[in-house]
Parts: sequence; C-alpha cells; structure tokens
Amino acid sequence: MRMKRAAAFTLAGLMAVSMTACGSGNGGSAKGSTSDSTEETKNEAAATAGKKDASEKLVVWTLADDLKQFAERYCEKNPDVQIETVTIAPADYPTKIQTAMRGKQTTPDIIVGEPQMLEDMYEAGYFEDLDQEPYNAQDYADKIVDYVWDVGKDADGVQRAISYQITPCGVFYRRDIAEKVFGTDDPEEIGNMFQDYDTILSTGETLRDAGYKIFASDMEMTYFSGDSAWVEDGKLKIDQARMDYLDSCVKLYQNDMTAYVAQWSTTWYQAMGGSVPVIDKETNVWDETEMEEAAENGKTTEIFAYGLPAWGVVTMRDHVGDLSGKWGVCAGPAYGFSGGTYIGISALSEKKELAWDFLKFCTLTEETLDWWIEASQGDVVSYLPCLEKHKEDENTVYGGEKLYQFFLEQAEGIDYSKVTKYDKKINDAWAAAIDSIKTGEKSKEDAVDEFYDVVASTYPEIEIQR
Amino acid sequence: MAAKAKKSILYIILILLAVICLMPFALMMVNATRSGSEIVHSFTLIPSNALAQNWETVSGYFDLFKGILNSLIVSVPATLLSSYFSAMAAYGLVMYKFKGNKFISGVIIIFMMIPGQLSMIGFYDLITKMHMIDTYWPLILPAIAAPGTVFFLRQYCEGALQPALIEAARMDGAKEIYIFHKIILPLMSPGIATMAIGAFIGSWNSYLIPLILLNTPEKFTLPVMIASLNASTDITANQGAIYLAVAISVIPILIVFAFCSKYIIGSISAGGVKE
Repeated sequence: MRMKRAAAFTLAGLMAVSMTACGSGNGGSAKGSTSDSTEETKNEAAATAGKKDASEKLVVWTLADDLKQFAERYCEKNPDVQIETVTIAPADYPTKIQTAMRGKQTTPDIIVGEPQMLEDMYEAGYFEDLDQEPYNAQDYADKIVDYVWDVGKDADGVQRAISYQITPCGVFYRRDIAEKVFGTDDPEEIGNMFQDYDTILSTGETLRDAGYKIFASDMEMTYFSGDSAWVEDGKLKIDQARMDYLDSCVKLYQNDMTAYVAQWSTTWYQAMGGSVPVIDKETNVWDETEMEEAAENGKTTEIFAYGLPAWGVVTMRDHVGDLSGKWGVCAGPAYGFSGGTYIGISALSEKKELAWDFLKFCTLTEETLDWWIEASQGDVVSYLPCLEKHKEDENTVYGGEKLYQFFLEQAEGIDYSKVTKYDKKINDAWAAAIDSIKTGEKSKEDAVDEFYDVVASTYPEIEIQR
Repeated sequence: MAAKAKKSILYIILILLAVICLMPFALMMVNATRSGSEIVHSFTLIPSNALAQNWETVSGYFDLFKGILNSLIVSVPATLLSSYFSAMAAYGLVMYKFKGNKFISGVIIIFMMIPGQLSMIGFYDLITKMHMIDTYWPLILPAIAAPGTVFFLRQYCEGALQPALIEAARMDGAKEIYIFHKIILPLMSPGIATMAIGAFIGSWNSYLIPLILLNTPEKFTLPVMIASLNASTDITANQGAIYLAVAISVIPILIVFAFCSKYIIGSISAGGVKE
C-alpha cells in the first residue's frame, strides 16, 4: 500500500514539474521575424486608438507595432472612427487568420502578411480584390515602387495587398576600415568590391591580411543569393549563382575570413559597435569562459561588413554605439529584399469602405508617409513621391549617406518574378547543406544530394533533375 | 567517515541541481533589469538599470495587471472545475461497480493519448457555431473533462480509499453525495491538490487556444499579451521588456505552488483508515 502511494506521489511530482518546464517556454516563442519601427514613438501606441464612443470601429490584425501608430494618427484625423489593433506574433499569425477565416468572422477588417505568407493567403482567398470598384487600386500603380506592387498581386495579377515600406538589401560597411585598407570609403567603389562572389573573396583576403574580418557570419550574402528563381515551371533549378554563393560561403568559413559567429547572435550584434574577440573554428561562441579567454589573450578584431535589408538601418542604429557615423551602405552582388508588412482588406469584412480608406491612408497618402519617415527615423517607404522628396536626406549614422536614394535604386532592380512560395523552406535546406559542407561534415556532392532529398520530401510536386 | 563522505557527495549533487534549477530564474530576474541591446551584447548576472524603461515598454503595449486578472479569471475556475469533476469521476469509477466501468476507464486512458492540437480546428468550428468566440467559456468549461487528472485520481483512490469507510457512512444513513463531499473529498485532497497545481499551470501558460479564440486585446490572457511584445519592432529591442513581463507573470504560479505544495507534503501521511 505504502509503496503504491509513494509511487503515485512521485509520478504526480514528475508531472507537475514537467508541466512547469513545458509551460515556461511560452514567452519566448516566435522569434526570428522582424519589422521596423522606432523606440521613440512606440511607447505611446495603445491597443485601441480613437474615442470609445466613436460611431465606427475598425479591427486590424497585424504582425508588427507600426500599424498601431498609423491607427493613432488616423483616428486623430477622423474622430468618428475607432481602431482596434491586435498584434500577433508572426509565427502564430497564419494560424490565427486561418481559424478566423474558417469561422467566417467579419472581424478583422484589415489583415496583413509578410511576403512568404502572402501566396498561401492569396490562394485561400482571404484578401479582398482591390482592383474592383470602389477601390480601383490600379489608379495608384505608378505611385508605388514596382516590386512592392507586384508582391501585392496574386497569381492571376489581381491586386490584393499594398505595403507602405520597401525592404531592398544592401551591404553595410565600416567607412573607417575602408579608408585604412582600401584608401576610399566611397559607396560606389566599395560596392565594386562586393560585385560578385569572387571579388568578395579577394576583398575578404585583403581584409584578413590587414587584420580585419570581412563578415561576422558567413551567411551575410544570403539576401543577395536569390538572383534566380528556385522553381521554374515546376522544376527545381540550381543555377551557377547559387553554386557560387555556396562556394563563397564555404571559402569564407574555411579560409578564416569571418568571425565564426551566427547571424543574430550576441557577438554578431556586438561587432556592430566595435571590436570582438578573435576566435577560431574550435571556440564555442556561446561559451562565456572560452570567449573571455579569447578576449584576455588580447586578440580582438573588427568586422567590416554586414548584409541587411533596409530595415537594418534601424536595427544597426540601435547597436552602433560610438561607431555612429562610421558606417556606410553600398550595393551587394545582386538585388534582393527581405520582409515587409503588406496590408490588405479581409474578404469577409463588413466595413470594406472604411478599411480601404485606412489602407489608403497608410500606403497611398503622401502626408502620412512624410510623417512616418520622421517618426520611424529611417524606415524606407514605398510611396514614390515621398521617396523623391526625401532623396536628398542624409543619414548621419551612415556618414551622411543619402539612404532613400540608395534604397530606391536597389528596389528598382528587384525582379519579383523570381520569388516563389517554396523559397523559405528551400533556402533553409540550402543553408543546411552549406553548413554541412563548410564544417567538413559532408562532401559537396553528399550535401547537395541530401538537399535534393529534403526538397523532394517537402514538396513532392516539384520535379527534380539531379 | 564513509557515511559522512557519502552525505557530502549527496549534498554537493543536490546543491548543483538546485543551482541548475534556479539559474534560469535568476537570469530572468537579472535580464528584466537590462535593456534589449545589453541583453544581446553580453551575458552577466549583474543587474543593470533599465528596469523602469522596460516597465514603460511593457505598459505601453498592454496592461499587464489586466492580463494577470484575465488569466486568473480563466485559470481559477478551470482549476476548480477540473479538480472537482475529476475527483467525482475517479471516485465513481473506483467505488461503484457497474457495467462498462472498465470500458470507460479504458476510453479515458485512450483520450489521454490524443494531443489537443489535433482537434483544434474542429474545436474552433464548434465554438463558432455555439457563438462563444471571444468569450472565456471555451477556455474554462472544457477543463471539466480532464482525462489525465481522472486517471491519476483513480489510481490515487484505489490506494487511499477503503470500501469499509463508505460502507460505514452508508450504515449511518449518509446520502451518496454527502459521503463524497464530507468524507471522500477531504481524503482525496492531497491527490487533488497535486493535480490542481498541474491544471493551474497548464491553464495559466496555455497560449495557442486563447490566441485563436480571443479577439479583443482587452480580453487577452497573459501569454498572448506577452507574445505580442515579440511581434513588434526589432527583435532585440523588446528583450528586456519580455523578461520583465515573464518575471512578473511567474509570480502567481509561485504563490500557488508554495501554497499547494505545503498542503501536499502535510497530508501525505494522512488517511482515514489505519493500515
């Protein structure tokens, strides 16, 4: 009897402990996705904007905090409207929308999506057709940067969503190091040193010999690797640029040109504001004592460049510290973009007219976007007249470079037809292949073979020619 | 001497385990006082001075105390319902002999094995048809049927209850429901308390179901609110605020655990019939 009871208590104790253990992870879920905004303005935003007794109410489900600020501003101008903004973590956003749309809910009125979510959302018919009356979105086609306009179109070319921002990628580099090593800090000339993967490798070697590292991680060029489509006519395609990218990642790693840290890791951020300890392949960057030993040995290095989308302007600004003003931005080996919040109207909304007015306010109103450029301090909008107007604005964190002009040029080069809905998973598999090659775990052939296997099992509908 | 050495080794191991258990909590408290930028830049146990700033960020996003209140409104009734009805079911299965008893017990065990996520879409559709979206009812009422709890309490009843006890009560003229309330519930209370802790923590931490069922920000439970900090701006900017919100949200769980664990330990040796 006693044994049985004791056993029961032990079991209960174990269950309780395991539940706590599982549960406490909740707060930390859903990392990885990013969007942009600033710390200065975000604190003011409340969940519900406008007066409580307003005659009309709009419900917005969003991924990032930005739309809250837009909502506040909209309610200031339209006192008879109340806007409720619900912010949902990006990892759970598709689930939340999916269930709500299944349940034929008439709220939310406004829904959003990041580029990689959009195609599935278009297919499921969640977004209202913006080409029809009374919206006539195509009237505004020439006001928005082309690639953004295209991302907002579904497979049949119908406009479904519009974004207020553009997210083209650039290479962020240290002006002071460029001056020392190359004798110039001109974005044009530095851009030439990143024009293709071979040049990047030789640039990396020059920097290594001068005691610097070209990148913190070897994945910095990943935003630029999408120069061709992964899938064309239902066939998987690996063109030369993909292979070059693979080779360059492996060489960057094996020839000691990076600081061997992972993107978005502690040291990766640290390097934005100064020197980081030199470590070799064997040092574990997550191990505090090993890192301290490396620092005590007096060996430190500085990182020359990062590859980041336009929202990196804001991320980097928060981490540069004393190096403010010593960074610059130049073009990478190809055009690319990453992220961005695309706003559309729910097909089930009962307040489509009001929703369209809000959407227009956020994406197609010059006055709003002028305000947003001020409020966000560096976010790059998609509305062309605004970009024109701010073309000459200089960003002091980046040595007075005219960033709006730069990103507009980059955005114009983006060819959205090369983006497919398979990209996210295929890119992940490709990155895994690169990882196993660079660490010597697998030969190149084995790794690429395994990459094919992964794609084949994830997307059986894609035809693969090995 | 050997015994002493043995004891010290035991203590060293226990202290080590305690440190491993408490370390994440200590880190959470320390990180709650640091800014997002500091957190991604280095790792330390020395508190910084960004506590007020983190608090401002948190309260800028939502009312944390409203979230705690909402979570309590869901968790407390859910825990009470789950405990009471599971105890009743377990007692019935153990003490009454009726046809299908074994079958029902088997079904309960099978239902224990089915993960909740599987039935989520169906559950959502059902709730929509019942017009209970955006209310707390679908979060509270399903707690009545808790197969895991029934299973555990059934085992517990088999060990802790003697048929003689109930027969004696019946002989004295007590009604069945009276017997359950006055005699059985107190006897089962250690087991119920154990399961109540689990039920409370599960309900308090539940994220996906409230996220899907609740639409109004004011009605969000704590985990859903905290996750919205994750959703906004640069991933690093809100790190400190997230730690702070999580640290505060853990407090009620600690209180419940402290309260209930005393109860469990105190009544482990209690029993109605001498063995």
